[in-house]
Amino acid sequence: MRILVVEDNDLVADAIARGLGIAGFAVDRAPSAEVAATALAAEHFDLAVVDIGLPGEDGLTFVRRLRSQGATLPVLILTARETVAMRVEALDLGADDFLMKPFEQSELAARCRALIRRANLNTNGQLNFGRLRIDVAGRQLRIDDKLVELTGREWLVLECLAFSAGRVVSKERLQQTIARWDQAMTPNAVEVYVSRVRAKLADAALIRTVRGLGYRLDEPEA
Amino acid sequence: MSLKLDPTTSIHRRLLILLLPPLALLMVAGGFADYRASMVFMRTAYDQSLADAALAQAALLKVVDGKIHAQLPPQPQPHGNRAEKFYYSIWGPDNLLITGNPQLAAATAGEGNPIYADAWLGSHKIRVVTYRVATAAGVATVNVAETTSRREAARHFILTSTWLMDFILVDSTLLLVWIGVRYGLKPLLAVRGQIESRSPRELRPIETAEVPAEVRPLVDALNGLFEVLREAAHAQRQFVADAAHQLRTPIAGLVGHLELLTQDPAAAALESRLAVLRDGMRRVAHSANQLLALARAEPSANLADHFQNTDLVPLVERVIERNVDRSVKAGLDLGADLAAASVAGSAWLIEDLLGNLVDNALNYTPAGGHVTVRCGGSQSEPYLEVEDDGPGIPEAERSRVRQRFYRLPGSQGHGCGLGLAIVEEIARLHRAAVTIDAGSGGLGTRIRVQFSPLEAALQGKTANAVTP
Repeated sequence: MRILVVEDNDLVADAIARGLGIAGFAVDRAPSAEVAATALAAEHFDLAVVDIGLPGEDGLTFVRRLRSQGATLPVLILTARETVAMRVEALDLGADDFLMKPFEQSELAARCRALIRRANLNTNGQLNFGRLRIDVAGRQLRIDDKLVELTGREWLVLECLAFSAGRVVSKERLQQTIARWDQAMTPNAVEVYVSRVRAKLADAALIRTVRGLGYRLDEPEA
Repeated sequence: MSLKLDPTTSIHRRLLILLLPPLALLMVAGGFADYRASMVFMRTAYDQSLADAALAQAALLKVVDGKIHAQLPPQPQPHGNRAEKFYYSIWGPDNLLITGNPQLAAATAGEGNPIYADAWLGSHKIRVVTYRVATAAGVATVNVAETTSRREAARHFILTSTWLMDFILVDSTLLLVWIGVRYGLKPLLAVRGQIESRSPRELRPIETAEVPAEVRPLVDALNGLFEVLREAAHAQRQFVADAAHQLRTPIAGLVGHLELLTQDPAAAALESRLAVLRDGMRRVAHSANQLLALARAEPSANLADHFQNTDLVPLVERVIERNVDRSVKAGLDLGADLAAASVAGSAWLIEDLLGNLVDNALNYTPAGGHVTVRCGGSQSEPYLEVEDDGPGIPEAERSRVRQRFYRLPGSQGHGCGLGLAIVEEIARLHRAAVTIDAGSGGLGTRIRVQFSPLEAALQGKTANAVTP
């Protein structure tokens, strides 16, 4: 997985590059939008991390230009100055996510992974999450290349959680998702299905319960 | 009468004090003068008719053989129906009674001719007129007297009618003055109402359309001051925001590098010192964020106009979602108990508010504890609540923790003491009440933010917009 980091501040760019490197990504750095454009034209990247406050062309203009040229790679915007308007503008322009400085390296890596996962799902119908290999189109789940059998309802639960991996999925949403398939679905039944899926995933992934809200699919704790 | 009025006495009071007593005195004096004048006229008229009787009597005197003779006078007809008693006595030059009542003596006081006097005849109060007339046989003295019951009746009538008129006049004048002062000061009271209804931190100019000319310069001066304050507040906000923004990029770099260093096996020997550094760096980052949040929450002139119907449920969900990782790391159970709740406000600021409450709860609750975020009350009494089962805030400290930069003595964690101040600031902007209590079962802390009803808050906003 290759990431282009577009950031003019050396201190930050260096930290990001090293951090993402440790997290298992290949990282290239570009100090300006112009350099970044050249790099993107020449080589393939899975993700761009773009600072808004770039010298010369700013980050937002750069993203707008990328999208108008038809580039589909996911873009994560970094900013030191947050306003609602800016957040909305960035997402409208085609940025995929937004991160405030300062941030934790682990948070950045997690966001990058989620963005790349989503992009993969869009391009080839594959959803990879830790040791899970989810073939959305073929309705198959593999853990470490071993096929795991899921019932229809269990599959819907896993799919729903995996699409939003790393984010909380409300119990209501799970209930609605399954209810389309089975009209008589109670909140308690959701818990039953979740615990069945949890058992089948074993130690390959963690379905965390967020009390009063819902569930979150996490990579297992080290 | 010397009046010493405190300069702080209200104008209303002042006008009444300055107007009412002198006016009342003036009217009473006027009434008294009227009465006196009427009395003089009345007495003159009655005296005149008495004098006429004396003159007529004098005209009837005749001198026969060097002696004065008086004809018996016809009893004069009294005026009106009241029977008045008349008395006569005519005396010769050597003080001999010629005819009449011997007890009726001449009036002695005063000069001129005729002269008048009040006297007593037996038990009757009388008015006497004495007329001296020269005859061939010397000076004769004619005394005519009448009892005073008619005069008393007239005096009584004048007295009552004068005082009655006076009383009505005084009362209606005082009433008119009071009403006039009240209505005259109405525009002033309107300005006062306008100023009183403002929240103390509001810097919007006062509406001048209905301000009377006398107060206008004062209101203009106030508005000028508000303008200066607004600009100063804005400049200060801008400065804090800029400073915080400028700090963020280098902080991001430092935080990143420190995090990498702590993970670097080569730095394992320095682990504890790196942890100290990292904690310090986090604190700096946190403070920069909090300063920015505080700058955002400072009331800007038109913030309330941006308030919108805000659903608290997704807002709470977002805040919890952001904090799940942290709670997992800290070994805390972060959960929610959500019911429908909508408020009029800025979602952005309320998220800051809740973020700070959750942040505090996660900071101060030891591992194994629970933090629960609640919302509810739908639209009529919407609230947000964060409860933890940590060490709690002693009752004596509950008001102090709301102050900026104040931290509980001996408290752990990397707070900077701004969290609750930000909460307070944002709550104030939303006219919400913040209460700090112990959690259920007397354990931990429960902080509740009670918002005003959605309908009223949205209406208040419109009312503000129309008649600021």
